[in-house]
Amino acid sequence: MLAAVRSATLFGVEGRPVTVEVHSSTGLPSFGIVGLPDDACRESRDRVRAAVLSSGLAWKSARVTVNLAPSSQRKGGSGLDLAIAVGVLAASEQIPIDAIDGFAFVAELGLDGSLRPVAGVAPMVAAMAQGDAHHVSSRFVDPLLVRPVVPASSFREAQGVVGERVRVATTLREVYDALVGATPWPAPPDDEFVDDEPPVPDLADVRGQAAARRALEIAAAGGHHLLLVGAPGSGKTMLAQRLPGLLPTLTPDIALQATMVHSSAGVRLPAGGLVRRPPFRAPHHSSSMVSLVGGGSTTLRPGEISLAHGGVLFLDELGEFAPTVLDGLRQPLEEGVIRIARARASAALPARFLLVAATNPCPCGGGAPGACECDDAARLRYLRRLSGPLLDRFDLRVAVSRPAVDDLLVGGGAEPTAVVAARVAQARRRSLDRVGVLVADIPGARLDEWAPLTPEARQVLRDHLEADRLTGRGYHRIRRVARTIADLAGEHELVDVEHVVLAMQMRVQLRVSTREQAA
Amino acid sequence: MIADLPPGAYVAALAGFRHMTVHRLAALLRHHQPAEAWQVALGERPAEGLVARVLADRHVRAAWRADTQRRTPDVVWQRCVDLGVTVWWPSHAHYPAMLLDDPLPPPVLFARGDRSLLEGRRVAMVGTRNATQAGRQFARSLAADLATAGVHVVSGLARGIDGAAHAGVVAADGTGRPIAVVGSGPDVVYPREHADLWAAVVNCGLLLSEAPPGAAPDAWRFPLRNRVVAALAEVVVVVESRETGGSLITAAEALDRGVPLMAVPGRPGSRAAAGVNQLLRDGAAPVLDAGDVLTMLQLEHARRFDTPVDLRPRPRADDRAVYRALAAEPRTIDGVALAVGLSLVEAAMRLARLEAAGWVAQADGWFECVGSPL
Repeated sequence: MLAAVRSATLFGVEGRPVTVEVHSSTGLPSFGIVGLPDDACRESRDRVRAAVLSSGLAWKSARVTVNLAPSSQRKGGSGLDLAIAVGVLAASEQIPIDAIDGFAFVAELGLDGSLRPVAGVAPMVAAMAQGDAHHVSSRFVDPLLVRPVVPASSFREAQGVVGERVRVATTLREVYDALVGATPWPAPPDDEFVDDEPPVPDLADVRGQAAARRALEIAAAGGHHLLLVGAPGSGKTMLAQRLPGLLPTLTPDIALQATMVHSSAGVRLPAGGLVRRPPFRAPHHSSSMVSLVGGGSTTLRPGEISLAHGGVLFLDELGEFAPTVLDGLRQPLEEGVIRIARARASAALPARFLLVAATNPCPCGGGAPGACECDDAARLRYLRRLSGPLLDRFDLRVAVSRPAVDDLLVGGGAEPTAVVAARVAQARRRSLDRVGVLVADIPGARLDEWAPLTPEARQVLRDHLEADRLTGRGYHRIRRVARTIADLAGEHELVDVEHVVLAMQMRVQLRVSTREQAA
Repeated sequence: MIADLPPGAYVAALAGFRHMTVHRLAALLRHHQPAEAWQVALGERPAEGLVARVLADRHVRAAWRADTQRRTPDVVWQRCVDLGVTVWWPSHAHYPAMLLDDPLPPPVLFARGDRSLLEGRRVAMVGTRNATQAGRQFARSLAADLATAGVHVVSGLARGIDGAAHAGVVAADGTGRPIAVVGSGPDVVYPREHADLWAAVVNCGLLLSEAPPGAAPDAWRFPLRNRVVAALAEVVVVVESRETGGSLITAAEALDRGVPLMAVPGRPGSRAAAGVNQLLRDGAAPVLDAGDVLTMLQLEHARRFDTPVDLRPRPRADDRAVYRALAAEPRTIDGVALAVGLSLVEAAMRLARLEAAGWVAQADGWFECVGSPL
């Protein structure tokens, strides 16, 4: 007897459809899995057998072969358990073959027959709903009608991707009962929809720091990467945490991609099932290359930069990250995806994020001229880690100083997040309406067309270029930032001198070498 | 052993030995002629006095003996000749006279440049490597004024104040010349960004080192270098220094030698000037311009050393408030906006104007005043 069951495995942030074929025949009783299962997958033999028996169902003595098709592709994880169990039950004629048509299964089984959630339900469900070419079902089922069966705790996650077609169960017995028609499918968990996302910290909490606040606003409005330079305790982390609050809610496309990434990484999703708010990821500076950009040998787990897709990646103590790790960020910063190749496979994971980094000006964190007590070698070593090409990616580089006493005491007046976010949304709309991309993505060649300058603004830039206070690369970046500042200020066709000047002051020069400045 | 090598070859070779300290080399050369000292190191001649005690240590004995093969006098000497480095030791005719009765005279000096400068008037200028713009600016102009008045400026060619002082001397092109005492070998440029300045000192001044050609700038050499700076100077001027630092070592060495100590006053409470202000409280003479130093040297000086005519365009009245706020202490753009009561954009505009005109300099996001106050 042959049964074919739809399921899927996870690869990177993609689900890949898998057909679980179970063949049961007479012969020496055995139970084997073929088709490149990994260890977790091979062990499902024992889980499936125990779960079937614990559910009060029969394990018939037969020669059972499970094939995971396509058999050329490596399959990992325990998400195929339920599909194998259903296949075994169908092949042993406990469930009618017809009954499993139109269903797909993703769940890990416990020995007691319970269904357990696995990482990556969202992308796997999406893959199953798209159908697959390998499926050998006797009857053609429109993939758009495939009903995924998932553990009850994964309901929101699956529902966010394929909507109301999702079926849930908490045990293998419930799945069996529903498939044979003994009982209807259990109702999806009826937990009230609660917005359990922690409230975004408000910008009004930040006292002083006018320049850094402004930089956050510009970064959010134009998609400009931001570097905060300042002594310890000057509030760099506090500022960075307030950036996601300034960003608009994710568009449906990005929200779905972000959900896929979060699901694949096994990161808890918000109660609504979809990642709607821009994520904020702040990996520690000891993070490895793989944890940051993604990878691993079999499953290619997404890294922090993919988890930050659509949101903010905050790298505190930028100078303490391993230089190779930082260099690994340059390609995704340019392209918005990270391409990881391994011997067996390669994957492209989404990674379009806003990079916010914080660094001390030197190991001692002294900051102000004359206040630093590092020797030159230490200072140079520290700053050299921040390679020129990486520093150059930061359109905005702002010095953050400890707030003055006056600022802390003379409270009030600080704008709350909601007010700033409204301005940001308007500026983003201006840019998207004008050119279809955020300002930071305007190609250099189109700047004259999309960010034209007033004659005075042009003159200021020319003066700075001639005085060597501005490099050619810095020139384009400053013009983009100035465009964003103008968009934030209102309807400005031309970028004016004050926008350019503020943009220049928002990109401070770092003394990467301690070369003496000429008189 | 090659017969026709000059004695300096042996001194130069011995200076590069492992376990060779200033005291040991001084003892060797006090008790032995250079060529004899070489034989002592080789183990072919009995050591005398303190040297015998040093050689009682078998590690030293073994290292020195090995080094006689590793650093042969002919090779070291050839290198000195190629580089134009002359070698002086206390019994050498050209050894600077003022060092002979020093508490710890350098047992050897490697020199490049014009040795006659040591017969002129000499002022040492030292200060922190991590100097403010204002400190560098002052060091540069003070050194230039002294050079114009015919005074040679002794310094360590380090980053910060040292480099600024010598840059000022070189730029002034007066009769006063730079005298540098460096912590690395006379051919090992350190810090690297001073390569041009280093070459200029060798060309128009005098460069001295206790370390043989090729010696790395080891940390332990610099405090020793400071004592030579103090010993060569008639007056030591500390331009900018924090509460600790190499320039205060130089100041202490100057006091040990009875060399008059002068200091440039800084703003009270400023971290960058904590060291000089402490020196002033302890009795160092203040330096406000080159005239004060020349008076200390008992040199006639008719004219006041004012800053030359400032060619920078005078800032507008409203920009001046920003400049004044920065004169008190360096600030970030936030600090400027807050201190003067401006919007961020307005502060940015004014800072940009001041920066373009050269009144203000920015580094790491901090703005500082440059040049004479308004």
